[in-house]
Amino acid sequence: MSEVLGDFIRALRAADVRVSTSESIDAGNVIDLVGFNERETLRDALSQVLAKSDDEKQAFLETFDTFFAFDQFKEKPASVNEPAANENEQDEQADGGEGEEGEGGESSGADGPSSPGGGGQGGERQGEGPRPRDDLVSLLERGDQAALQMALAEAARQANLNRIRLFTQRGMFTRRIMELMGLDGLNEEIERREQARNTDGAAQLMQAREELRGQVRDYVEKQLEIFTANSGRQLREEVLSKMRLSNVDRSDMRIMRELVRKMAKRLIAMHSRRKKIARRGTLDVRRTIRANIEFDGLLFHTIWKRTKVDRPKVMAICDVSGSVAQVSRFLLMFLYSLQEVLPNVRSFAFSGELGETTEMFERERLEQALALVLRDFGGGSTDYGRAFEDFQSLAMNDIDHRTTVLILGDARSNYGDPRADILKLVHARARRVIWLNPEPRSMWNSGDSEMRRLAPYCDRAITCASLKDLERVVSDLLRTAV
Amino acid sequence: MTSDRKDATGDIEAIRKGFETRGYICNAHIATSIFLAEKLQKPLLVEGPPGVGKTELAKATAEMVGKPLIRLQCYEGLDEAKALYEWKYGKQLLYTQVLKEKLGDLMTGAQGLKESMARLHDFDDTFFSEEFLEPRPLLKALWQPGGAVLLIDEIDKSDDEFEAFLLELLSDYQISVPELGTIKARTAPIVFLTSNNTREIGDALKRRCLHLYIPFPDTDLEQRIIAARVPEMEERLRNQLVAFVQGLRQLELKKLPAVSETIDWARTMVLLHARELDADLVRNTLNVLLKFQDDIDNVDGEVNALVSKAVQAG
Repeated sequence: MSEVLGDFIRALRAADVRVSTSESIDAGNVIDLVGFNERETLRDALSQVLAKSDDEKQAFLETFDTFFAFDQFKEKPASVNEPAANENEQDEQADGGEGEEGEGGESSGADGPSSPGGGGQGGERQGEGPRPRDDLVSLLERGDQAALQMALAEAARQANLNRIRLFTQRGMFTRRIMELMGLDGLNEEIERREQARNTDGAAQLMQAREELRGQVRDYVEKQLEIFTANSGRQLREEVLSKMRLSNVDRSDMRIMRELVRKMAKRLIAMHSRRKKIARRGTLDVRRTIRANIEFDGLLFHTIWKRTKVDRPKVMAICDVSGSVAQVSRFLLMFLYSLQEVLPNVRSFAFSGELGETTEMFERERLEQALALVLRDFGGGSTDYGRAFEDFQSLAMNDIDHRTTVLILGDARSNYGDPRADILKLVHARARRVIWLNPEPRSMWNSGDSEMRRLAPYCDRAITCASLKDLERVVSDLLRTAV
Repeated sequence: MTSDRKDATGDIEAIRKGFETRGYICNAHIATSIFLAEKLQKPLLVEGPPGVGKTELAKATAEMVGKPLIRLQCYEGLDEAKALYEWKYGKQLLYTQVLKEKLGDLMTGAQGLKESMARLHDFDDTFFSEEFLEPRPLLKALWQPGGAVLLIDEIDKSDDEFEAFLLELLSDYQISVPELGTIKARTAPIVFLTSNNTREIGDALKRRCLHLYIPFPDTDLEQRIIAARVPEMEERLRNQLVAFVQGLRQLELKKLPAVSETIDWARTMVLLHARELDADLVRNTLNVLLKFQDDIDNVDGEVNALVSKAVQAG
């Protein structure tokens, strides 16, 4: 597999596109088929082999455009124009370079063995280390952009630029690439010209050197951007998902929202397959006969009818009072995402009074819905007793043996009666009652927390303080929903 | 190798032209995927909203390469007996009856059980041979002399087990029949899988396929499609009609009108001898384009604005 492709795939992986080994091989075959000549065709073709979902296609297109953009040398004004056509070898190189116009051709400069036009000289160049100093000098003097681009790509390859990970490495890589391109030779030449009192020539070369340095730096920047496109965000996401929800900064809200959405999607993808269980006792005649043909119709192997398991019905009650305001934003966010993907979610919110928010979530966009819920239900002082009464009149009749009731709150009822008797009723009817409490277990039952009275009527009462906790709980909920 | 590469663009263009003469208008992207599917011998997973011509693509391909199209419609509960093969029970039974006496003849003179068994073994597989095999679409596609185009339609509707079962077929073009062993394709078929994305397709399946996403066509492409499918329509009306539909797709609707609906609508217009798009005409025929009463109600208010915009564009 060619090195360009390897780098490209690495860049794709950095941009969150999953590429398996077999897909890399396919991509190699595709390049053999269509080549580097037609940018559009190459993009179309590779996108079909490497990117296999909507998100991935989008990321692919972006990465393709940045990765195969080789324009550093094109914008440069043609300041150094002296033809130095006295050295044959360089002439050849220049020709080779010019022959390969366009992105594809240039990229293949780094392609080593399989570069289309550069068979001879490519071989000569490989593994040679720094090339003779006069190479760079004459390249600069002639202003041969294509050849310079190739030299740059080759030097970058030797310097292992594709391993760049941190922005602090930029300087080091720039210097190393310059050296590999023949910086020493260039400096010597400048010195020699100065000694020979050829000040014009020296000044010209110095200017060219500075320009080259700028171009190399740009190139390194771009590569850094390509290969680390997502790593910063990934790190932050990692940290955020483990952080206590109440400590998440407002400025990270956007990332959090994205995270929550991703998480809900992942959970659903994992559990959306409808499960089947065997219904013992009912023979599936057709399948049984089919399966036993090989035994000449003797029923050795019986097959039972199976019933599909319906997705869980979920009712979620979310406390949005002041004491849990920070956390409830995320819980609501999560509820919203969950409702988008699960068909049977009903959501309720309360601080004093309780109301159903299902429709609001269906109708409005996330931000709008959150604001509305917080406006309508938030801010009041918590009263679990009242909330449970409202819940009873609103939804009790719809709770059946398939319903999971999810309660999100800190159980701090301001010393009011939490009406544990209603929860007991709910518990009796529902399949499961799960209580997610944002406070650590050591804080339960302290002050006005009523966990002690409410917890007995929950199948599970657990702490849920970070997105990771939430994901674990919900994954559990979906998996065991029978 | 270099010469191959030069041909690639030409080949892709040829495929596009080939489709065009058969009334299937597509862009280079779609043509590229057909080219790759043929050259790499990989199945092609086609996704996209309903009605953008996913199934049509397979039909057009079959017509172009001159191979028969074998279609397998997926649904919940589809199993290998319906997708792959079935034994011809009736024929087996009949033959057993008819051959009963022959069997008696065969056994005469056999010394003891052991020898009878041995004689029977010689004819062991008679009843489980290809003679008694009823090929279903997948097996048919493998057996087809000269290859075939196999269309596995709406794979997302099938069960997970069936998806897993397809893996062997898709990666090696072979299937295992327990009684017969492995059956390999005589000529590798060109395989299309389509999905409307009602559920996420498994990674294993995706990895084995090329992946093509067909979005709604842009204005230019849609005009060409209508021109090819409803040639009797005047150009002016056609442009207006396409502009209207394109405008409609910008709205928030339950189900956006796809190309197939645009074609239906264009045919309706031709039947009604319409010469120009106007608001009343659109209101009366909106149900061809939109399939939900909610959507029709929602669009009703926008019709005037959309029509005037479309008339300008035309």
